[in-house]
This record gives sequence, C-alpha cells and structure tokens, in this order.
Amino acid sequence: MKINILKTALFLLYSMLASEGQCQSPNDALMMKAKQACILADYNYTSFNRYWEGSLNRENQTIARVMRSTVLPMAAIGISDRLNFFIGLPHISTSSSNPNGGKFKEVSGFQDLSLSLKYNWLNKTIGSSELLGLATFGFATPASNYLSDYMPYSLGLGAPELTYRVIMQYKLKNGLYVRGAGSYLWRGYTKIEREYYYNNGSYYTPWMDVPNAINVEGIVGKWLWNNSLQIEANLLSSQSLSGDDIRAYNAPVPTNKVNMNRIGIFAHYFFPKLKGLGLIAYHQGVISGRNTAQANTTGMGITYYFNYLKSSQVNEN
Amino acid sequence: MKTNIYKIFAAICILVLVSCEKELPQYLDFTEYEFSSADKTGGTWIPILLKSGDEIKIQAPLAVNSSEYLQELAKLKTDLGKITNAERQAIIYWTSNPVIRWNEIALELIAKYNLIPGPNADGSYTLPNASNPTGPPAFPFAHPPYACRALAYLSVAQFDGLITACHYKFIYNRPAPFKQDAAIKYAYLDSDIPSYPSDGAVIATTSKKVLTQMFPLEAAYLEKKEAEHLRSLYLSGGNVESDIEAGKFIGESVAAIALSRAANDGMKNAQSPKAVADSLAAAAQARFGWHWVNLEIPQRPVGLTPLFGRVKMWNVTKVEDTRPIPPPAIGSPQLNADIKILQDYIDHPSVERRRIANFWQDGLGTYTPPGHWNQFAKDFIVKHHLNPLRTARTFAYLNMAMMDGGISCWDTKYYYHYPRPIQLIDGFKTIAGTPNFPSYLSGHSVFSAAGAEVLAYIFPSEASTVRGWAEEAAISRVYGGIHWTFDAILGTEQGKLVAQYTVSKARMDGAD
Repeated sequence: MKINILKTALFLLYSMLASEGQCQSPNDALMMKAKQACILADYNYTSFNRYWEGSLNRENQTIARVMRSTVLPMAAIGISDRLNFFIGLPHISTSSSNPNGGKFKEVSGFQDLSLSLKYNWLNKTIGSSELLGLATFGFATPASNYLSDYMPYSLGLGAPELTYRVIMQYKLKNGLYVRGAGSYLWRGYTKIEREYYYNNGSYYTPWMDVPNAINVEGIVGKWLWNNSLQIEANLLSSQSLSGDDIRAYNAPVPTNKVNMNRIGIFAHYFFPKLKGLGLIAYHQGVISGRNTAQANTTGMGITYYFNYLKSSQVNEN
Repeated sequence: MKTNIYKIFAAICILVLVSCEKELPQYLDFTEYEFSSADKTGGTWIPILLKSGDEIKIQAPLAVNSSEYLQELAKLKTDLGKITNAERQAIIYWTSNPVIRWNEIALELIAKYNLIPGPNADGSYTLPNASNPTGPPAFPFAHPPYACRALAYLSVAQFDGLITACHYKFIYNRPAPFKQDAAIKYAYLDSDIPSYPSDGAVIATTSKKVLTQMFPLEAAYLEKKEAEHLRSLYLSGGNVESDIEAGKFIGESVAAIALSRAANDGMKNAQSPKAVADSLAAAAQARFGWHWVNLEIPQRPVGLTPLFGRVKMWNVTKVEDTRPIPPPAIGSPQLNADIKILQDYIDHPSVERRRIANFWQDGLGTYTPPGHWNQFAKDFIVKHHLNPLRTARTFAYLNMAMMDGGISCWDTKYYYHYPRPIQLIDGFKTIAGTPNFPSYLSGHSVFSAAGAEVLAYIFPSEASTVRGWAEEAAISRVYGGIHWTFDAILGTEQGKLVAQYTVSKARMDGAD
C-alpha cells in the first residue's frame, strides 16, 4: 500500500495535442488549400515540482520533479480549400528526478491517436481587414494499453475524447491579428485495473468517468518579415465540468476536476528560400489551477508543406 | 457540403454521447432472494464475545391482544398510508439482509480515511490522534491493520447481537405485524420469523455504534444512516416500534461489550513512540545483521504500527506460535536469486503482471486488502442466499481470521525487520507504492490467505477459486516490486495457519 505518487499531470497529458498552436493544427486559424498537406514533427519537454492539490499549491518529494517528453508527429491534409483533416499520435515518456521518495517506475509509449476535421465557415473582408470563422471536430482515443490510473506518470486519461471547437480570427492589413477559440471536450470513461475506487463515495467498477471540460483561448499575433515569421502570445483557460479533488497527499486520479490558466508564446518561421519548410518554437507556463501541475513546457518542431496532388501553393492566411 | 457536414457531426455527437453513458454502481444492487436456511435454532449458537444468546436480558414483549400493541399496530398502518417515495426507496436499498449494507458503509469509511499523513513544512510528520479527530491529519488513518480491526469488531458485534435476537425471537414468538393484520403488506419476501426483537434494529444500532467509535468524524452520517434503516424496518411492515426498541437495546448492549474489548486490546499502543520503534530495529540488527529503513523523503521516523503484533488476538493464544522461519540472509544465494527475479519483472513489464499488481493493490485511498475480501464475501453471501445471521457469521469469522492474520504478520514484520527491495537493490523502481513497514511477510499474502480459508470453509464450492485468488494476491506484491517471493509464499502459509484457529472455532459454534 502506501504510494504517494502524487501530482497532477492531468492536463499535460493531452494538452500538447489538443490545445494551441503548432503548424496547422486543429486549433489555429490556418487553412490549407485542397491538395496541400503539412507534416509536423514536434518535440516538447514539460516539467513541474509543484502542483495544486485541490486549491493547495504544494511540492511533494515522493515524486520530486516530474518530467515529461513528448514527440508528436502530425499531418494536416487539405481535402478542399475549406475543409482540412488532421491526424496525430504522440509518443510520451514520463519520469521523476532523482532523488525522490516514491521510486516509481517511469513510463513511455504511444498516447492517444487524434483525428480532426476543420471547416472554414466564414471568410469576410471588412475594409482592409478580414474576419475568419472556423469550426473543428476532433476525436481522440488511446492508441496503446497505457494505464491512466498511474498518475502523475500516466501517459494520458485513457478515455475517448470528442472536441467541438469554434475559432474566430480578426486580422488587420498590417498582419496583426487576434483570435479567440472556445471548445467543449466530451470525455468518456477510462478503464482502470482495479474493481473499486473512492470518489466521494464507493464505486464498485473498474470504469472511471473522466470529467468533460470547457477550454477558452485568446491569442494575439502578428505576421512579420514579409509573412515569413508568425509570432503569438496566448492564454488558455480550462475548466472541468465535474470531478473530485486530489485527496490529501494522495495520487491524482482520472476523475479529478482539473482547472488551469496557462500563458504562452509561440513562433513559426517559414524559410523564404527553402520552399515549404518551417520551424516552430514555443513556451508555456501554468499560472494558476486546481488539481493540476504548475508545469512549464518548451517545445520546438519542423513543419513541411507540400502538394500531395499538383496544385496551388502554400496559403499563409 | 456545409449542411451535410453539420448533419454528420450532429449524428456522431449524439450517438457517442448517448451510447457511452455507463452505470457506475455505488453498492451491490441485488434481487431479493429467499434465504437458503431459516436457522431457527440460531439463538443456541455460541457467540464470540457473549457467553450465550441470553446473556443480554430484554423485557418480555406485550401480548398481541394488549391495547398498547394494538395501538402500535394502528399507528404503523397510519404511517404506512403516508409513506413517501424516499422511504420506499430506502426499503429497497436496505433489503432484507441489511448486514450487507452496513458492511459496505464500513468499506466506504475505510476508503475515505485510508490516507497517509503527509509531511509538515519542516519535514516532520504529525500522526492522527483519536483525542483530536479533526486534526489535521484527520483521525483515523484507516490503514490495513486499522481496517481489519474495525471490520472485526463490527462483524463480531453484529453476529453476537443477531444470536441474541434469534434467541429471544423464538422464546417470545411474537408474529410480525404483517402476520397480525392482513392490511399490512410486508415489503420483503414472506417469512414466519417472529419480529420481537427486531434483528434489523440490532444490526442498525450495533453497526452505528461500533463504526462511530472507529470513525468519530462520521457520527452524524452514521446517525442518519441508522435512522433511515430503522425507519425502513418499520415501514417494511416487518416491525412495530417495540420490536425496534428491543433490537436497539440489544444493539447498544452488544456494541458496548465489543467496544470495551477494543478499548483494551492494545491497539492504542500499536503506533509506538520512536524510541520503541528504534529498539525493534536495533534488536533485529543485533540478531540478524539487518534492519528495514524507510526511504521516503522526508523520512518517516516510525514505521506503521510497530506494535500491532502485540494486539490481543481473537483465536490464537500466542502470536509466536505463528511466526515463520527467518528470511534468507543478505548476500545469500536465495536472496540473490530473488533480486534477479524482481529485477527481471521490472525490466520486462508484462500486461498480465501489471494487471495483477493493480487488481490486488488495494493501496492508499481504497478499502484495503481486508476490504477487498469483505467484498468477495458479500458477493458469495448473495450468490449463496445467506440469511442475515449467517451473513454476520461469515463476516465475523472472516474478519477475525484476517485481524489475527494481520497481528501475526505484523509481529513477524517487526521481529525480523527485513528490508524492502528498494532498500537492497540499487536504483530499483516499483510499479506499486512501497509501504512504510518491513517487508517480511507480505500483509496482502497473510490477509488474503486467512480470508480465503474462512471463505473456503463457509462456501466449500468456492474453495479452489478463493485459494487461487489468495495466491494471486500474494504474488501481486512481487509483481509490484515491493515484496520478495518468500514474503509472499511464507505469507500465504502464515495466513492459512492462522485461519485454522478461527475455522476450528467456527466449526464448534453450533451452526454446522
């Protein structure tokens, strides 16, 4: 018994995949033309040594500093000028720094396969500015038999997830833009490997109900250097719609209510002379939350655009 | 295109949302069954703490033709006319075998309080304190020794109380209200068991009183549960108020007897001061050349309940009689072979070993291994249609055996004081949490084997199943990386041995 795994990496688990910005992602306002495709290879590193147990911000030497590395290959495909398809599958490794009091075995493996469709339903020119409206529908499901009930080292929540997102962007002629997005995340159940758990009462089942959530994002960005550099500052606020708190000095569980506010910066550079090739870099930090890790994430990646069928050129909207 | 996409999206969303909602059961939802035996001679069975079923004295009931009784009956009829939906639901929830519900309540409280206190800002640890239950940390820390003991006192008191109730039922033979008046319909299956004193009320009051002592912060919650249960006994048509009052009296009396044993069983000294704990480590070092060390950060100064091995046992006279041979010496070929096995398991993870390690983990925040075996017992009780008296008997012998097993195991743990794998294998990591007490023997193995032996005795057709489970529970700790194979193998043997004392006693109590 004992076990003081502890901490919350809840959000990190899928946030790299399901929230803002790399390459053309389901979350940004970029659209590819028909017959275009983009490939992203992303690496990011997250760590934390403090977390919120309910509203209490604490450290825990049982897990010391928890580290998480993610390699995310992702592809975006322009089905038509207004409809894009995305597919991604992250590979994640988690471990604790040494020394730590828990001595828990690290984990690595594939997390969740995600599939998304992004539809551009509004393109309006207002004077010299343009207003863009997009909607995405995403589906994600565990791609390996990782155990969700092994926090904070679990690779993910172990449950299917549906994402419904609306994105609006207003862009000025000088390249400055603001973007807002709202998402509803429906999560199913995760199957754990024990037949009883406590969640403000007894549960005689291996199924845990993972709380649904709402995400709201606000982004300010600008295109620079003749549209070869895109820079952004972003704010993400995420709220679970149900769930329990992490219990005192205990490990987090997939039923926890996870809230967080996170700020970040993001840049995407397109090589003017290397057609289709780009680099991304970003950094994010959680500034407040509940049952979540006070985590910092740094990531970088390579993007490559090409025509999978002969046609037009890269569209940098 | 646009509208088509919306239609497809909407269809997928609705399908997924509707088809995926699952039932997550919070208690065992079973269909009421006819009891496999009536046990009208249950009042002659030998109780555990009482000398006999007539040790607690109750008043003779009023005659069924007395005006007081007729008034009670009339009041019941009036109240039945005003029954609410919530009260109907309560009758269904409590069932005709409410021992099951009180056992579930006990498991829930164990899981709620099974939280290990964390360190203070200065690196010290504060222990839960019964005289200041609010804490922090809250009292109790319902770890496996605490849990097996709480379950034992609860079940023993329920069993003795039900023997007492049974004794008086067939002395006074007062038929139940639904037998007296055709207008009163019984909510459960028909039965010709006399209703004075109410066996349900014995269970409600005994359970409330024992659990309130064990979980003092839950007094109000337990009071509410008791009131709801008593009300449902009345509104089931099975009891008038005087039946219930007599049952409550038995419950109060038998719980007091159980709790007075508990007050003096040595548990209050089990979490010893550091000096005592250190002397146990020093004794092992002198005797064997090793001692277990807690490797948490910050280090816990005292292991879990070093003196639980000296708590008064139920059915074993001398704990030393159940102490095993010493574990392999450090550096011995046998230990080195074990180190290899453990390293191999952790370096080559398997889905099956992970599943087994997690299935049996029953760690912090759960109902503990004794709780897990109570759940198995409950499932068998329903499957084999046991009546409340036999249900209480099953839990009583099961939990006495597991508590005795726990005491034997803890005696062994602190006598041999053997190191955990993380202490002896450099850089070793585990998939289960390493507990705060010595390795040899495995508590899971002892609790499980002891529990399995009692269940094998009560339910012979399940014997090979439960013994198989006990062996899997034992090896699960090796798969978790927190026990040696000899901790598990000898732990299973100790559990079997200890349980024989309890099973021998059970065979003599008149129920077979």
